[in-house]
Amino acid sequence: MQRGPISRALEREDTLAFWLLAPTLVILTLFIAYPFARGVWLALSNATVGEPGHYIGLANFEKIFADSIFRTAAWNTIVYTAVTTVFKLALGLWLALLLNRHFRGKSWVRAFILLPFIIPTVLSTLAWKWMFDPTFSVFNWLFWKLHIIDSRINWLGDPDLAMASIMAVNVWRGVPFYAISLLAGLQTINPDLHEAAAIDGANRWNRFWHVTWPLLLPVTMVVVLFSVIQTFADFQLVYVLTGGGPANATHLFATYAYQIGIGTGLLSEGAAISLAMFPALLLVVVFQLWYIRKVENR
Amino acid sequence: MSRFTRRKFLQASGAGLAGILATHQAPSFAQQSTVHWIKWNDFVPASDELLRKQMLPEAMKAIGAKITLETVNGNDLQPRVTSAIQSGSGPDVFMLFNNHPHIYGASAVDVSDVAEAIGKAQGGYYNVAKANTQDGKKTLSVPWAVIGAMTSYRKSWFEEVGYNEFPKTWQEYHDAGKKLKAKGRPLGQTLGHTFGDAPTFSYPYLWSWGGKEVDEKGKVVLDSKETLESVKFMQAFWKDSFDEGGLAWDDTNNNRAFLSGTISATLNGASIYIETLRKPDQYKTEKDRPMKEDIRHSPLPRGPKGQFGFHLFQSHMVMQYSKNQKAAKEFLKWIHTPANYEKWFVSQKGYSTPPAAMWEKHKMWDEDPVMAPFKIAGKLGLSPGYAGPPNRKSAEVLTKYIVTDMYAKAVQGMSPQEAVKWAAGEVQKIYSGA
Amino acid sequence: MIEGARWKKWVWFYLPLGSFIVALLFPFYWMVVTTVRPDGELYRPWNHPLYSPFWTSHPTLDHVRNLLTETLFSTWMWNTMLIAFVATLISLFCGVIAGYALARLTFRWAGILGTAIFVTYLVPQTLLFIPLAEIIRDYHIGDTPWALILTYPTFLIPFCTWLMMGYFKAIPKELEECARIDGAARWQAMVYIILPIAVPGILSAGIFAFTLSWNEFIYALVFLSSPEQKTVPVGVTSELIRGDVFFWGALMAGALIGSIPVAIVYSFFVEHYVAGMTGSVKG
Repeated sequence: MQRGPISRALEREDTLAFWLLAPTLVILTLFIAYPFARGVWLALSNATVGEPGHYIGLANFEKIFADSIFRTAAWNTIVYTAVTTVFKLALGLWLALLLNRHFRGKSWVRAFILLPFIIPTVLSTLAWKWMFDPTFSVFNWLFWKLHIIDSRINWLGDPDLAMASIMAVNVWRGVPFYAISLLAGLQTINPDLHEAAAIDGANRWNRFWHVTWPLLLPVTMVVVLFSVIQTFADFQLVYVLTGGGPANATHLFATYAYQIGIGTGLLSEGAAISLAMFPALLLVVVFQLWYIRKVENR
Repeated sequence: MSRFTRRKFLQASGAGLAGILATHQAPSFAQQSTVHWIKWNDFVPASDELLRKQMLPEAMKAIGAKITLETVNGNDLQPRVTSAIQSGSGPDVFMLFNNHPHIYGASAVDVSDVAEAIGKAQGGYYNVAKANTQDGKKTLSVPWAVIGAMTSYRKSWFEEVGYNEFPKTWQEYHDAGKKLKAKGRPLGQTLGHTFGDAPTFSYPYLWSWGGKEVDEKGKVVLDSKETLESVKFMQAFWKDSFDEGGLAWDDTNNNRAFLSGTISATLNGASIYIETLRKPDQYKTEKDRPMKEDIRHSPLPRGPKGQFGFHLFQSHMVMQYSKNQKAAKEFLKWIHTPANYEKWFVSQKGYSTPPAAMWEKHKMWDEDPVMAPFKIAGKLGLSPGYAGPPNRKSAEVLTKYIVTDMYAKAVQGMSPQEAVKWAAGEVQKIYSGA
Repeated sequence: MIEGARWKKWVWFYLPLGSFIVALLFPFYWMVVTTVRPDGELYRPWNHPLYSPFWTSHPTLDHVRNLLTETLFSTWMWNTMLIAFVATLISLFCGVIAGYALARLTFRWAGILGTAIFVTYLVPQTLLFIPLAEIIRDYHIGDTPWALILTYPTFLIPFCTWLMMGYFKAIPKELEECARIDGAARWQAMVYIILPIAVPGILSAGIFAFTLSWNEFIYALVFLSSPEQKTVPVGVTSELIRGDVFFWGALMAGALIGSIPVAIVYSFFVEHYVAGMTGSVKG
């Protein structure tokens, strides 16, 4: 069959690959690689808003590591990510197991259950902010009516409660994603395996632990990986709920970087804080990828 | 999802969505130049309405340029300035608070011509206005207004605990607050990261005990006996007398709390009182009288070293990246002509005090005695960075909320010594940096 | 099916499921109630005797009307839809072909490039937004939708690529070989044989991308300033909180209506969404 010169050129796999990858590489180089390099330079300079500044080496990093708020933000981010991931996984898995059964209205429930994840975070978080408002909170009303409390709970004003509140909202937002993904995974497990195990005398728990869980592990790891990356860099939720307060108690890397860089105009310090996030995240991700590989090759 | 119900859902929401989108107006392409003015959302909404509905259309006719007004939450002004400067585009005229012009000075257009003319014609600017807008080389911004911060309080509630006059010292205020809190009517104050009510409390409080960030020579003297005293007092004061939710409050929470009767006194601008004037039927006391009859204003109590105040200062900066600088300056000149500015000032009902001395004699101040304390807010009042001059460094300390955090940390459990050391350390880092 | 007594079914199934549904969907109910609740009721403190959180006896459409007439909400909706749509198209185009290349072609750099694309997903937005602001300033696209249309693909493309890679890997290699044997060119095999099969995956990647664009906040916050240019998330949070008052009624109305387009798109493709997950996680 006759083929034009372009077709022939595209026969070679590497040429075709080159052209297929070109648009992606152009965009990512222009809008990520180059800005990343500039960001690194920014972190090594003393630029502030409107003033380009000059190279000062690692001085910014010394400054931020000595900054107690930075250390709080770093610790918060780690705790925030770890705790919410555990809860999201546990609750998501439970919900997935529940949804895996047949019941009336199954498709409706499965469809609606994803709403917290679909709705723009900022908008749903605003609803939560209203529910937590110290003067008008519906939760306060509920607990008061149930006689569990007799004075106001300060959801977002007490430093520890505030952390718990933002973690609760994050879990609320993330459980559907975990649930639906794990449900998808559950549905690929052949029911015969369960039957066989049941016949062999395994009870419910054993069936889950020895049959379901191992087969679910690849899906789980992928979901956890994606979720950890997002949660680590979370900005919107904290920005809307507390702005990092009260008294810096709920700052995460991203919100603190924003406050210092954009809020106070200290661009170079803000860049340093963001950059500090990157190695930590890289480590977590590399570890997870290694673990996934290990699980896949078992 | 069954096809039938989905279709219905889509029909309903699709129709609704189409309706919503249909209300969108096509963008108009202006041929003339535009001046984009950004200011905070005024706590007296009537003034923003006056601007939008009356004054800006008039300005358009007078200057020949379209003026678009954008109002944002006060706390968002700073991030907006930074993003605008960095991306090289944004509003032409920016409202800034306190000594912030010093932070963005490099991107400001010199407005000495505009500012000097106004100052001279209107009786001279107050010191606080000059200090915040001039850095010795150029005039960074044109002073706009001073928002007096006074304590709004419920007269009848204070009388019930034995205070016919507002407490004059911190000890008296502590005592009154303790009695009030026992009745479920605590004092309210924010110690959060919000531009208005937090610094306007924490700085004068510090100064009234004799503490300060720097001395006249610029040396950092925050770590002192006086500062320590103030922090110690604050710990007990907070627990005994204040609504402890204040740690998470921004500038609007105390307004709402006061108006819904959950706190008895709070440092604020006059917006609480003005709101009760606006809607006398909505805000009632527990005796079903209009709340406006029960509100009074007072300066902050005195400390061992005197009585101080820090009043929010506002000015307008013309940005260097702006392509409409000439029109922007014309606009500022126009809005500051006494006839025009007066309209805005009167709509504020005393919430704002003009930055120049001529306005002290205006008859509006005589109309409502409840507002009388606000008249001289511009004359009193010190700036952050006291006793040094307002400059970039004091602006950085302000935007980082170091003084406010010192108290916030202490009331959350940090020992006073640690809190003071921390704050002094942070201030030192800023003042010794380049 | 659960074997056993009726009550067991209730305790182990209906109760937990019911609790999940209530917990997950209650905030939306709350949004709806707040949207139609008149202001007088809205601002009652929680220990007020007449506090009735779960319903209102005087529903009103005032907040919705205010939202649509007094604010630029409809403009923000247009902006967000336009930006999300175009950014999704760009990202799908790049992601699909890149995913194909990485999943089904063999060439030297496949592994490294795949990892590189994945790593870009990790770079925090708070690091990039200042340098990106400079780029945007230099190209004069600040305060226009293009600032977002060109920057959103930075996090959409890696995600789409990754999703499509998983999907493509699940398609048997024989299909292309058959097509080649029948005389089709390499690229024709890709376009006419493989892509049609991958349509469900492409749809789910598209939905995800659309959802993520709609959800984006930081770049929109930093790169846009004029009220007419804003997107829904930025507009709602910046312009509906005025001075002393959070206009909760309008805020919740905005939150509700702002969620509708995404919900519509999602409702179309919910099956593909789930199928897309299955396809990609197998990879």
